[in-house]
Amino acid sequence: MQRDLPLVRMANISKWFGAVQALNNVSIEVRHKEVLGLLGDNGAGKSTLIKILAGVFPPDEGEIYFNEEPVKFSSPKEARARGIETVHQELSLVNIMTISRNFFLGREPTRRIGSISLLDKKKMDEECSRVIGEVGIRVRSPNEYVSILSGGERQAISIGRAMYFGAKLLILDEPMTALSVKETRKVIEHIEEARESGASVIFITHNVYHVYPVADRFVMLNKGVKTGEFGKEEHEAEEIIEMVASSEGVL
Amino acid sequence: MRRVTRNISLPLSQIRRWPEFGVILAFSTIFIFFSVLAPMFFTIRNLTGIFTIVSELGIMTIGIAFLMIAGEFDLSVSSVYAFAGFIFVTLGNSINSLLALIITLVAAGCIGFLNGTITMRARIPSFIATLGMMMFIRGIMMAITGGRTVAYHGDLIVPTLLTRFIGHGFRPSHVWFVALTVLFSLILTRTRYGNWVFATGGRKEVARSMGVNINRVKLINFIISSLMAGLAGSIAINRFSVANPSFGIGMELEAIASAVIGGTFLTGGHGTIIGAFFGAFLMGTIRIGLIMVGAPAYWYMAFVGAIVIIAATINIKLRRLEM
Ligand SMILES: Nc1ncnc2c1ncn2[C@@H]1O[C@H](COP(=O)(O)OP(=O)(O)OP(=O)(O)O)[C@@H](O)[C@H]1O
Ligand SMILES: [Mg+2]
Repeated sequence: MQRDLPLVRMANISKWFGAVQALNNVSIEVRHKEVLGLLGDNGAGKSTLIKILAGVFPPDEGEIYFNEEPVKFSSPKEARARGIETVHQELSLVNIMTISRNFFLGREPTRRIGSISLLDKKKMDEECSRVIGEVGIRVRSPNEYVSILSGGERQAISIGRAMYFGAKLLILDEPMTALSVKETRKVIEHIEEARESGASVIFITHNVYHVYPVADRFVMLNKGVKTGEFGKEEHEAEEIIEMVASSEGVL
Repeated sequence: MRRVTRNISLPLSQIRRWPEFGVILAFSTIFIFFSVLAPMFFTIRNLTGIFTIVSELGIMTIGIAFLMIAGEFDLSVSSVYAFAGFIFVTLGNSINSLLALIITLVAAGCIGFLNGTITMRARIPSFIATLGMMMFIRGIMMAITGGRTVAYHGDLIVPTLLTRFIGHGFRPSHVWFVALTVLFSLILTRTRYGNWVFATGGRKEVARSMGVNINRVKLINFIISSLMAGLAGSIAINRFSVANPSFGIGMELEAIASAVIGGTFLTGGHGTIIGAFFGAFLMGTIRIGLIMVGAPAYWYMAFVGAIVIIAATINIKLRRLEM
């Protein structure tokens, strides 16, 4: 696999919600083992863009290429099957279910007894406990309800789950909303681990300081239009903040 | 702060492991209460009699609970219950009763399919869609029959399979109820599908983004709910040997009450079939028990109303503290 070919390329994506144009001819690419920071103010279209990539809904115009192969995702399941794992802004866990049931949701391991296949609870609990340990959360059991976890612990589990299922592209939509400073640092560690294990990451945030330490490149959106794209070496964090705030961009 | 909340939630989380604990305790209490108060209560004849009405309500409750856990309601079950009886009698009087039963269940399933399709296509709450369906079916039935009772005089295959005595007051419907409880409990807690049901009711956006086809899950559960109501109705008419278009009025609320008493959340995402089983038993025990201690029938409503409120309150409390 050639390093300089992008892992994912979204070309000329447009999306309308009724009369609102959420995205206007946006193109982005994510290279192998890179962390792309996707920046922009409220309503810029960041979530819409990555939801299209995650198969939540299709674009009205534009194409998606995965390893330069054109793909069309008609459901999140298809995107997951390609190795695109998303930790959504609204969180990716069901609070009133246990950690292990959440962990394997949609991909539950089963064992066959005769002609019926039952959940492999033992495997679910063991694997889940292992990942919980790896991401450094202290819970008594994978059968605890997600609702008792803190925001940071939930994000850690979501990221751990994505990596467990072999994510090639990890999409994080504002993973640090409502997290403490310490938890924020933890999440950054998890992102670095994800990249080291070979994944590419799209990291959405308002807060440039959150993404600056880990990002390789940045894309800026404003009101559905791409207003900037540059490598970390080109701008200091303060300059980027300035650009997002004044939304003038550099294109 | 966090430490403190965690410590408080420790014993509760152990109770949570046994979500049926509350309903079993309530059931036992009331059971003992009536056994002491009414001398004829604790007799095999009476207990199997309770089992009989509980089986019919309970089979309906299983379907309701399964659907409620997926986050939807079905108020039309009581009409489907009466409707199934009618179709069965009408068909069974002219064709083989087993075939009549199969057609009846297919028809019930179709109503469930319709409920689900209307709810999801029209994007209206299932509470409203199935309320409409409940009135629509009942109205059509009343109009066509003019409120008259029809008697069953077909063969004995289905009556034997469903409800004819098998000794000591036991009936096959008791076995069906227990078997269906075990089956649906297994599906809910031990299969992938069960996990999708919980997630769909717990937070459908998350379920969808994790690859669960939530519309399919809901549709299947609507069909199951209707099927179970159809089966319950078929059992009842085979027991009475007559069908009347006013059968089962108000039963949808009894079934929902049983499910809630059994720990199913009205908001979806949580519940157990074993709990629904005991919820239905609690209802049946109260109904018969009150009659046996000589209380006027109206007390049943009042009693059940109070218990539903208590059960729902406990559910909410558990949810706030633990989940
Ligand atoms: N499902 C939807 N239906 C209608 N409009 C939508 C929908 N989703 C997003 N929009 C609109 O599209 C625009 C872009 O929204 P989007 O959620 O992508 O922004 P965002 O950049 O993620 O913002 P934030 O930082 O606040 O999360 C907004 O005007 C929003 O109101
Ligand atoms: Mg967003």
